[in-house]
Amino acid sequence: MLRKRIIPCLLLKEEGLVKTVKFKQEKYIGDPINALKIFNEKEVDELVFLDISATERKEEPHYDLLSEIASECFMPLAYGGGIHKIEQISKILSLGFEKVVINTAAVDNPDLIKEAAQVFGSSTIVVSIDVKKNLFGKYQVYTKRGTYNTKLDPVKHAANVENLGAGEVMLNSIDRDGTMSGYDIALIAKVSNHVSIPIIASGGAGNLQHFYEALTLGKASAAAAGSFFVFHGKNRAVLINYPSEADFSQSQIF
Amino acid sequence: MIPYQVCNRCVMDTSEPEISFDENGNCNHCTAYLSNEHNLALQSDTSKKEDLNKLVERIKSSSRNSKYDCIIGVSGGVDSTYVAYLVKELGLNPLAVHLDNGWNSELAVSNIQKTLDNLGIDLYTYVIDWHEFRDIQLSFLKASVRDAEIPTDHAIISVLYQVAAKENLKYILSGANSATEGIYPVTWTYGIADLKYIKGIHSIFGSKKLKTFPSTSLSMKDYYILLKQIKTVPILDYIDFNKEKAMQIIQNELGWRYYGGKHYESIYTRFFQGYIMPVKFKIDKRRAHLSTLICSGQITKAEALEELKKEIYPAELYESDREFVLKKLKLSETDFAEIMKLPIKSYKDYPNSKNYFEFRKKVVPYLRKISLMH
Repeated sequence: MLRKRIIPCLLLKEEGLVKTVKFKQEKYIGDPINALKIFNEKEVDELVFLDISATERKEEPHYDLLSEIASECFMPLAYGGGIHKIEQISKILSLGFEKVVINTAAVDNPDLIKEAAQVFGSSTIVVSIDVKKNLFGKYQVYTKRGTYNTKLDPVKHAANVENLGAGEVMLNSIDRDGTMSGYDIALIAKVSNHVSIPIIASGGAGNLQHFYEALTLGKASAAAAGSFFVFHGKNRAVLINYPSEADFSQSQIF
Repeated sequence: MIPYQVCNRCVMDTSEPEISFDENGNCNHCTAYLSNEHNLALQSDTSKKEDLNKLVERIKSSSRNSKYDCIIGVSGGVDSTYVAYLVKELGLNPLAVHLDNGWNSELAVSNIQKTLDNLGIDLYTYVIDWHEFRDIQLSFLKASVRDAEIPTDHAIISVLYQVAAKENLKYILSGANSATEGIYPVTWTYGIADLKYIKGIHSIFGSKKLKTFPSTSLSMKDYYILLKQIKTVPILDYIDFNKEKAMQIIQNELGWRYYGGKHYESIYTRFFQGYIMPVKFKIDKRRAHLSTLICSGQITKAEALEELKKEIYPAELYESDREFVLKKLKLSETDFAEIMKLPIKSYKDYPNSKNYFEFRKKVVPYLRKISLMH
């Protein structure tokens, strides 16, 4: 069996790093290049950078920053934010990123996923799905950084992007984002039971037990987290950290 | 040009432009250090122990209604880590404060994490906006002064005061200590408390507005010290602080790791002290540190001279740091070469409050007395 991956997911806003709670309350947490250097030395499995202002900005991704990131980084990198054209994917991959993450465009223009998977191969295309529960407990897919309710069902949407050729689904619970209260295991299990491509669980990790739950009960192939890797203690003090191999194996994650 | 001379007693030399020597060849720095009657590093252990016990009692009674007793700064380095260890040994419950200026090394953050987790200490971090701080650091490089680390030191002190005031705590326990860093020539670094100097250089060479840089004007400092009654105590001066022993303890008890040089836990600091200082300013800051260790009896002069023969900056680390520093500061090799070639300046060439500080030194003790009477 493949080793499960534990992935820090860092949010870019313009050229700084931020962390949100439920996609709101952006808190500045520092310089992405320095954070990256620390994660490099901590030998993390993989890193995801998401530019949360890119879709709204309606401009091109910050290629200069992405190029600096890629040149500093030793491990596989994924970038998401504002991607809606094949040429953008091609440029980001040429900078040294292994994967791109597509969210809004996967709903607005599903053909992009199909074409991208054909041109670059499924393994480079990650579709991220942001999910929020409505008042009646029904899961709904949101786009545009959690501001637009597509009313789509996450299971159907995930199955659809799988058919289009996406290689992975990053499944993010808006309700759990930044809360450190645990993943939405029901959501993760529901989606992973219906699709065969790998699911990256995201949103809510606060301790090692949470990773274990997402990977076992939720059957996710990987678990991503933000707050867990950038905050320390109950004051949520910024301090980049990454558990050691021994900590992970003690929690039966590896 | 004055002829090269090194002190007979310590290892300070004429790379300090204002150094003077007596008829025995001993320099003004170690002479002042050894003859300072307030130098706690030279006092007997028994009297210090008594003072320490009294201090702990005062700290505890100053914070009866607070969640914490006192504030400590943490950087991941030897001194601040040992302070964390010591205050817990003394039964205090500190709040740790960390300033993130964008240059933390992996070792720094993992040392902080291990220390706080093992000791059960809460953390507060202040992150300076990196683009703003880069603008300040670049300003100091362009100003061509030796004091390029002053903005960080000033920001640390400011954040400590801010948090102490907010948490209503009266004591900041600092890792500064006379046993390992008592000798410190003003020509090598000036201006930690001089906001006029920092802002002056930034307004000449910088381009961004300062919005998040934590600063303390002199009137704010008066507010903290006189009105809020916040005291900064160099707690390591109250014990027999021995660097080697302290390192042994924090390695064994906290899993702390060494990073190979004084203040080398910050990537910028080690690049500045390990490369820019010796190459551009012809200063080896280790001389001040080693001279202090000689005077406080922790090493011999022969050992200090041996230490100085070692490379100041491991070549491999230097290569990767250089590339990283230039990338972070967005400097090309040409830009950096120009900075290295700029004529050397001192704080005297820029706006500063030195004269006013001298005046205050005389006045503040009286002000303090008056404020205590109320």
